[in-house]
Amino acid sequence: MAFQMLDTSAVARALSQVAERQDDLVDAFFERTEEAELPAEGDGPGFRLRREEGFAVRLVRGPEAWLAVRDGLEAGQLADALRQVARALPAAAYPEPRLELAPWGDPPAAEELAEVPLAISRAIRAHHVAFPLRLAVRRHHRELQVIGPTLVPGPERETFYSLAAELPWGRWGMLTPDLDDLGALAEEAAEALVERFRCRQAPPPAARSTPVVLGPHAAAVFLHEAVAHALEADTLGLTGRPESVLELPLGPPSLHVLDDPGSAPVPVRRATDDEGSSVLRRWLIRDGRVEQPLADRRWSRHSEGLSPGAGRRASRHEPPGPRSTHLELVPGEASDDDLLAGAEGGLWVAEVDRGRLDPLSGRFVLEAPSARRIRSGGRADPVGRLRIEGRVAELVDRVAAIGGQARSTGAGWCAKGGRRLAVWATVPSLLLDPVEVGP
Amino acid sequence: MSRRAPLADVLAALDDRGLPTAEIYAKRGRARVLELTPRGTTSSVFREEGWAVRASDDRRSFMASATGRPDPRGPGGAWPEADGEALELPGPETRRGVASPGAWREPADLDAPLVGEREGVHLLASLASELERELPGARLLGATLADGGSEVEIVNSLGVGVEHRNRAAHLRAEAAILGPSAEAVVEVVVREARRIDPRALARRLADRLMVAREGRAPERDRAVVLLAPVVVARLIEGLLPLLMGPRGFELAARLEDRQGRFASTALTVRDDGRFPGGAFAAPADGEGVPTGEVTLIEEGRYRQPLLSWRELDRHDAGERSGPGARPGAERSTGCARRPSWRDLPRRAPGHLHVVPDPEVSVRALLGRMARGYYLIDADGPGGFDFEAGRFSLPVVGFAVEGGVAASPIAGVRLTGGLGTLLRGVEAVGRDLLFQPAAGGLVGSPTLLVSGLEIQPR
Repeated sequence: MAFQMLDTSAVARALSQVAERQDDLVDAFFERTEEAELPAEGDGPGFRLRREEGFAVRLVRGPEAWLAVRDGLEAGQLADALRQVARALPAAAYPEPRLELAPWGDPPAAEELAEVPLAISRAIRAHHVAFPLRLAVRRHHRELQVIGPTLVPGPERETFYSLAAELPWGRWGMLTPDLDDLGALAEEAAEALVERFRCRQAPPPAARSTPVVLGPHAAAVFLHEAVAHALEADTLGLTGRPESVLELPLGPPSLHVLDDPGSAPVPVRRATDDEGSSVLRRWLIRDGRVEQPLADRRWSRHSEGLSPGAGRRASRHEPPGPRSTHLELVPGEASDDDLLAGAEGGLWVAEVDRGRLDPLSGRFVLEAPSARRIRSGGRADPVGRLRIEGRVAELVDRVAAIGGQARSTGAGWCAKGGRRLAVWATVPSLLLDPVEVGP
Repeated sequence: MSRRAPLADVLAALDDRGLPTAEIYAKRGRARVLELTPRGTTSSVFREEGWAVRASDDRRSFMASATGRPDPRGPGGAWPEADGEALELPGPETRRGVASPGAWREPADLDAPLVGEREGVHLLASLASELERELPGARLLGATLADGGSEVEIVNSLGVGVEHRNRAAHLRAEAAILGPSAEAVVEVVVREARRIDPRALARRLADRLMVAREGRAPERDRAVVLLAPVVVARLIEGLLPLLMGPRGFELAARLEDRQGRFASTALTVRDDGRFPGGAFAAPADGEGVPTGEVTLIEEGRYRQPLLSWRELDRHDAGERSGPGARPGAERSTGCARRPSWRDLPRRAPGHLHVVPDPEVSVRALLGRMARGYYLIDADGPGGFDFEAGRFSLPVVGFAVEGGVAASPIAGVRLTGGLGTLLRGVEAVGRDLLFQPAAGGLVGSPTLLVSGLEIQPR
């Protein structure tokens, strides 16, 4: 672990000098990140390695906050950052803490990543198709340590992989927590890419109201955009008090949605959030009612109805904000066949490219690259690029059935406010009936 | 900040490892960022320091970057293995055709102090209060002001050695009004935060919110349109495949009409990495190649797209030349932008802009319109289809009658042929304004254009 040599007690003592008032929130966020990238063939340089370490010190006092951010970890930097966030100079300064980290290990080898595009190419060939594909593979590793004046949680670490493909008819991406079962991963990627190839010239659907079955990946994006973003304290704060949504009906009584970073896939599992608060098994929606919006320390400290534990930061350069980490939709009892049978004449959407929520109007759009018409209880002819639109509350209310088989999946990169975070989900397929679909 | 000696040590270490082709990019910067949100203000101070290496032998290459100062042992004390293909770097022998920009004079305001915390918070608070005054009921959803400066050093094994300083400030503000709800965003990039006028920005936001809330969509109509700089900037952004990269030659040839006309004689488009007073003005790009001015469209004639030295070499060699290729006449300039030391250099506009006419005011352009539309902002992403030669951009603005803005319009698209857009420019104003786009800056003054259509969405 990178932070085993960090003198956390000394840092905590130094922070305590900045917390002059009882309700001051002060912390230091140390991070070390490593990203290894094997770019698409012919896209030089041939192997890329980014290594960063640094820290941020924060003081929150009432509605104001101060942040001092540093690249690198050198003597004198912490004292300098503390001076920048402190509102008054301390009467007596503690000695400067030593900022010593464990040495970096050897850089990752390109071979580990090089196996991924080869496996995917083989899996695509097994579908008896071929098309131009430019695929980049990245390994993301992050270690972090949060320190407060009185609280020093354990260090956290995350490792995962991302794939990004460019096709003549669009882009595709995928997150995976590991490469343990490369065959299954390659087949999942190949299925998604081949489907895009087969649907590339399919006409978009006419605008209409129709049942739609969302596959697990599409359902993950739907829930992330329509439930998680809608229930983030900062989103709710744009139009009123976040706690005013508690107990509000959202969806049918059979709908139960959680955010639980502690049950995420092991390589990205978390015990504490990016503010050092313990994570919760947070019921966003239980029995079709809002139970606990996503909140960080800054939002929760002035509201008894909100609990911290969902503070995330894309890097030390950004202040924390309330975001989801790992969404779970409690499975229902429907099989895939039941869902398809309940959506005759409708559409099966396996993947969604992006979703967009307008927090003021509640208007919500999901954009999918393709779909399949549902005929005779099965997936039939392809449909081209489509949009699913509506107001969040109405769309969530249209959840008519939930599949019984939850699947762990990367929900994708979330880029709210330009802050890019990997998000995860364990969700089954679900049926929305009816929803507005259009080109 | 010269650190040439450590950078030379890194080059030597790479050479010892059998990687004779190498480039070191080092950057050190500072910035103050002030953010105003419904839950309060956040004031951040950043100190950035990092470096990146691109290195290659004759078969394989890598890029490695890290925080801190350049280290001959590699990022974190170790170099990665090279993979993929060999790397090309600019050097004296590969910069054939690069325009000679002359001596660089460092702008005096690079030494101005960063915006202070109170000063910045006051600017954002003024924006909020001015907005409320301009349009009661309107409020800022959020505003972020960033003011920063940096020092860059680039050396490579082919003899490039450059040091320069940068300075830029960026403000982005998002506002809304309820009942019925409307939202608006403004962005401004200048060299120094103190040049930002909160009252002018508040007026822009208020106009945009009022129009979005009260505007009605007219019937489909073909009329003269007056396009505000931000609308033209969005159109130029959509036209970038035509204006940047070797494929531009082919696309330009397709857009010529039967008489061989490409654009109106009123239209001249340039890119200038040293634009006087420009926020991104610098003597060299992210690979150390000198920046300069390149004319892309001159009085309606397509000259060339923006080309990097690498693309120009390939173009000269006949590679990727399309039907519109005119080898021999083109110039290259430093156009590889590198937002941070983490990023690889990518071709991007420096200050790509429509050249203004200093004699023509917006009022004069408006006065020339008996009937038409004054479009003040884009209202969403546009669609640009080079195969079909058509474009569509959601816009808001005013219907104009007798040279006066008569009624707000919203929920409409500006649409037409790409060639019609380029050839329909009747007059150009003097109010040049730059917007961030495609990793650089794109700018235009107000344009008067005929031949396009307004359609309800």
